[in-house]
Amino acid sequence: MGDSKTLNLNVRKDFPILSKKILEKKDLIYFDTAASAQKPNAVIDETNDFYENHYSNVSRGVHTLSVESTFRYEDARKKVQKFLNARSENEIIFTKSATEGINLVAQTFYEKFMQKGDEVILSLIEHHSNLIPWFFLRDKYGVVLKFANIQPSGEIDIDHFESLFTNKTKIVSLTHLSNVFGTELNEKVISICKDKNVPILLDGCQSAAHLKIDVQKLGCDFYVFSGHKTYGPAGIGVLYGTENLLSEMPPYQGGGGMIGDVSLEGASYAELPAKYEAGTPPLVEAHGLGIAIDYMNKIGLDNIIEHENEITKYAFNKLNEIDFIEIHGGDNKRNSIISFNIKNVHSHEVSSFLDVEGIAIRAGHHCCQPLMKHLGVNSTARLSFGVYNTLEEVDKFIIAIHKCKEFFNK
Amino acid sequence: MNDLINDLYQEIILDHGREPRNFGECEPHNKSADGHNPLCGDNLKLTFLLNDQNIIEDIKFTGEGCAISLASASLMTEKLKGKKIEVAEEIFKDFTNLVSGSDEDLKVLNEEDSLYALKGVGGFPMRVKCATMAWHAFKQALKD
Ligand SMILES: Cc1ncc(COP(=O)(O)O)c(C=O)c1O
Repeated sequence: MGDSKTLNLNVRKDFPILSKKILEKKDLIYFDTAASAQKPNAVIDETNDFYENHYSNVSRGVHTLSVESTFRYEDARKKVQKFLNARSENEIIFTKSATEGINLVAQTFYEKFMQKGDEVILSLIEHHSNLIPWFFLRDKYGVVLKFANIQPSGEIDIDHFESLFTNKTKIVSLTHLSNVFGTELNEKVISICKDKNVPILLDGCQSAAHLKIDVQKLGCDFYVFSGHKTYGPAGIGVLYGTENLLSEMPPYQGGGGMIGDVSLEGASYAELPAKYEAGTPPLVEAHGLGIAIDYMNKIGLDNIIEHENEITKYAFNKLNEIDFIEIHGGDNKRNSIISFNIKNVHSHEVSSFLDVEGIAIRAGHHCCQPLMKHLGVNSTARLSFGVYNTLEEVDKFIIAIHKCKEFFNK
Repeated sequence: MNDLINDLYQEIILDHGREPRNFGECEPHNKSADGHNPLCGDNLKLTFLLNDQNIIEDIKFTGEGCAISLASASLMTEKLKGKKIEVAEEIFKDFTNLVSGSDEDLKVLNEEDSLYALKGVGGFPMRVKCATMAWHAFKQALKD
């Protein structure tokens, strides 16, 4: 049984769902935070409070409730700005998800800066969310997509990546932390983009709550993440973009809130960030995200990261000792995510078996079908950890994995 | 061991999952369709030969999948071989009711049928798609 000093964050009481019994008798062991994180009381309560005491539309009216709602919405933006260390609130655009953020950049960046035959560099490990928006550009406008290879460790092959650049390369878009391997993007990749003067978008879905993010230090031009993976509500996402680029790119959707002045002949557009926020935004969810950020700050991101690293390492070593387990990726450092297969047992079987033991893991292609093809599997099982997980849960999982193997190979 | 798991993975399912029957491509065939589960990437190809009396003379499948999807496809081919299309369509309806936990009375399937072993899928709503993948391919092939 593992014990540890750092693991006593004492946060489990903050997450009401952790006292749920699965199938009426099993304690929930939630190892699917990479798909979506559970929500602390603070987020749940504050969301209710918003509806009960402060709710109205934002930036529209002048009455008291409109002021209270707008204050909360804009306050959340400030929190996100600090969380990412962006230079200004103008660089923080609220979207409905990371997916919407990537679509927004693909469309509007193309419109301003690209034409037929121009090139985008992606990689083999991208989530479908960071593939399909670019496929649209290929299909509609004849943009050329290039894909960086990966090494057996799961990291991008830097030499191959660098060889993909031409004078037609206009943008690079890569995952910051792989949702299959849990490996972090090598900083060299970003510096190569800087050297070549090509903007880079980082898909921060898996990094936002599991690494310390400083967009200025990172040097990325765009960074997207989803609130629901960072202990906040679903329905809210963030796009960070440098003010330079966001100012030059055209609006994404048209509607209320994103205009300067409208006549029947035409319209002028609002300044940043409103320019990219057409229509009534997910305002309560934005507030919830702000509260989730407060919550992470209260525990301390460094503590969260240390805690998760310890669990990840512990689980990795335990799994690595088992001969019927195949772990995908290398022995290199991973953050909070481990993908594996039990030899000769489909990941669906593993997931259903563990489910009745109360253990929630993800099985499938993780929205990374091109990567699955590369790995020569059509699905994997994935463990992913959050602030609330413990080494004891890993021990229970390991026992269940042995039972599972026995059951299917009897 | 948990009852739900034992219901889901009855011996016959594990057996057909490991060693699917009628695995391969039907030659000659005049009907075919691909089945695909977008949630997990599992897929199969179904081929069969329908003769001029509308009887399924031979039926086979290939593909990759979990035990539930392979066993369901394998048991389906065993059940449908030699059946008239009208009967096969009745079986399709019964089977989809059976695995989706619907209360509707079964018309042609009963507890004696090996397909009945898949009833346990009803306890795992997320796995219903695994169990019906081959069947939807069958329906699709009839339409094309
Ligand atoms: C790496 C990565 N990118 C993008 C996404 C898409 O996130 P969302 O569905 O919240 O937009 C996910 C979530 O599954 C992810 O893990």
